[in-house]
Amino acid sequence: MRSLITSLARGVRSLASRKIYIFMMMIVPMGCAWFMLDLMNEGLPLPVPTAVVDMDRSAMSRSVTRSLRANQFVEITDEAMSYNDALEQVRRGKIFGFFYIPYRFQQKAMSGGEPTLSFYSNMSLFVPGTMSFKGFKTTAVTTKGAMVVTTMSSVGVDSQEASAMLQPVVIDSHPLGNPWLNYSIYLCNSFVPGVLALMVLLMTVFSICDEMKRGTSPQWISDAGGSMLVALTGKLLPQTVIFSIVGVAMQSMFYGYYHFPLNNHLGHMIAAMLLLVLACQAFAVIVCEILPNLRIALSVCSLIGILSFSITGFSFPVEQMYGWLGIFSYIVPLRYYFLIYIDQALNGIPLFYSRFYYIALLLFPLAALPGLRRLRKRCLNPVYVP
Amino acid sequence: MKSLTMSVARWFTGLFEVWRREFRLVFTDAGVLLFFFALPTLYPVVYTLIYNPEVVKKMDVVVVDHSATARSREFVRMAGQTEAINIIGHAADMQEARRAMASHDCFAVLEIPQDFAKKLGNGEQAVVPFYCDMSLLLRFRQFTVALTDIQLATGAKIAQQKLDDAGLVAQAIEPMASPIDTEAVFLGDPTQGFASFIMPGILVLILQQSLILGITMIAGGHAERRRRNRGYDPLWVDAPASAVVLGKTLCYLILYAPMLIYTLHIVPWMFDLPHYGDIWEAMLLMLPMLIAVSMFGQVLSGFVTERETSLLVIVFTSVVFLFLSGLTWPRYAMNPLWTLIGDAVPATWGLEGFVRINSDNASLSGQARPLHMLWVLSAVYFAGAVAVQWWRGRCNRVCQPVE
Repeated sequence: MRSLITSLARGVRSLASRKIYIFMMMIVPMGCAWFMLDLMNEGLPLPVPTAVVDMDRSAMSRSVTRSLRANQFVEITDEAMSYNDALEQVRRGKIFGFFYIPYRFQQKAMSGGEPTLSFYSNMSLFVPGTMSFKGFKTTAVTTKGAMVVTTMSSVGVDSQEASAMLQPVVIDSHPLGNPWLNYSIYLCNSFVPGVLALMVLLMTVFSICDEMKRGTSPQWISDAGGSMLVALTGKLLPQTVIFSIVGVAMQSMFYGYYHFPLNNHLGHMIAAMLLLVLACQAFAVIVCEILPNLRIALSVCSLIGILSFSITGFSFPVEQMYGWLGIFSYIVPLRYYFLIYIDQALNGIPLFYSRFYYIALLLFPLAALPGLRRLRKRCLNPVYVP
Repeated sequence: MKSLTMSVARWFTGLFEVWRREFRLVFTDAGVLLFFFALPTLYPVVYTLIYNPEVVKKMDVVVVDHSATARSREFVRMAGQTEAINIIGHAADMQEARRAMASHDCFAVLEIPQDFAKKLGNGEQAVVPFYCDMSLLLRFRQFTVALTDIQLATGAKIAQQKLDDAGLVAQAIEPMASPIDTEAVFLGDPTQGFASFIMPGILVLILQQSLILGITMIAGGHAERRRRNRGYDPLWVDAPASAVVLGKTLCYLILYAPMLIYTLHIVPWMFDLPHYGDIWEAMLLMLPMLIAVSMFGQVLSGFVTERETSLLVIVFTSVVFLFLSGLTWPRYAMNPLWTLIGDAVPATWGLEGFVRINSDNASLSGQARPLHMLWVLSAVYFAGAVAVQWWRGRCNRVCQPVE
């Protein structure tokens, strides 16, 4: 007990001794959280700058342009003179798509010539590309629909019947949990805890291996009465507390201040956050046990920390990745936090269905135990390899 | 006159000395080698492999068919035939479907209402609810595309049937049933694949981050040597600060020339990513980017006091720079503060220009703004880097042991 208190005191002292700890543990995660939440505060990057190429200049084409201007997804910032002109604007990044009304559009439409309305979306930037596509598609379909209804009424079909004939089945999508398709909810809930997890990995490795680099690790072990577990607890517990407070503060920004969906008890998410911090610390300890060298261990943790933004399937689903690559997502703690967030905060399903994710997070600290002997041996004979 | 020639000659000798020493520092340091060569070699491959399946396909869906008619079964079959949807089974009611979703067996539920067939028969509009998990927007997007297709296909099919049934009316309506056609064209990333969209941008970011990591680690080594030698770095070359900055930059440019070809030309070619524009035009854009990044790294290295802290303070910026670059959240929608900060990052402009040249087949002449901004950043960071090096040189001279 006495040695634990000495270790804890040593851990707190070392945290207070260098500015980098405060910077990396509090300022960076909170700063990143504020940055991302503020950046995507609008939810959707609308309206998308686009152009219309009106080659027809008829009453009908002008009415199409008008309904484009009324569309919430796109903003007509430019009236290009030709297809090439519009394409050049896309290539210069001025617009992200354009709507093309062909020459003699009205004439052909009236005489049954079936003219084609084309719309071009630049998918090299996914989000504006998709949004402009959506806006264009709605306008194109409604223009077409309105024309059909008009022509049908002219032959005596009433307009309700005409619209049923035009679109007999309507699929009504219910996007569960995020009906606004809000990008901030989608990205912040995964990327901000990801930054925190990265910081936990790096700081844990840094604080352990720095002892070896400076050659103070034998003293560190002897202060803990020779026990690696006590030494680690003394060093890491103060960090656990700080990181957990930062993590919960992030969650309070999400669910309190920004009103992100939280469809189950807040306690489930807080528990997940505490377990995430603990699991990441354990993961970093495992890395130190295998590679007890400051630079190499830090490099490995940076690599995993950064790759985990992709491999945990924040944007591209894990089950669609190559199988041999997808399984790696299950060795990073962040994956389980992400799955818990989907279940508990977004979908609000009973805790029962997420039980394995919580258990998985609990397994990380246990997995760190067998390697402690090896780490202790290295700590007693520290070798610094630059 | 003579003294001027002398000082010019000294400046160039200093530049050459710095350049030579920098090469030695890089090639004798395993950590820096890892950042300069291993990272830009392996990272693009790993990243592309993660995203290489490109398009999300065959996502599991459960059907609740309250109608249980030939029409509804046909509708479900049509849904199952789309690229996005994989019908894994039927649930008796919504309760059961919800359980399947909670147990992570499916990502969406298609509920066909009881009056589905009746409404279609009566010529009324039938509404089919579709409940979709929103954890990943990519899934929802793919589902939406498929659903629109089904909607249009069923519409066409039923309209055709009606026209066949109604003989006389059909003749009157047929030519007017679709007075105009619509056509969607996707530029840049015509397959709408995820790797094809994100990788060209990520490649530029990887170049920037690996270079900065290496430069700051070299600076950390310098700071440690000074600490060991009472403030004096024995490997320091006493040259004018501008010669030090340019000598270092020259070294990095030479080292990164092959990496540039590899990351921006060979990687897209290997994985069949969009790679339309002229590669040499892209390289001409990348030259000022590498210069700006080298200078930027040298400014940042003023804050690094230890080899390993470079990792701590640089790694997380990758995420910040990714968002600032506008790849995920477009720059036109950012507020002035973040736009301004994004403007100061070389990769923002490098990425913007490269993506347009590489994916949109733009020419360099159309990329005046990124090109100008990169040169402006180079100049600004050059001034900053000179200040940092001047200060370091001064500290070093003060601490130089007397022979």
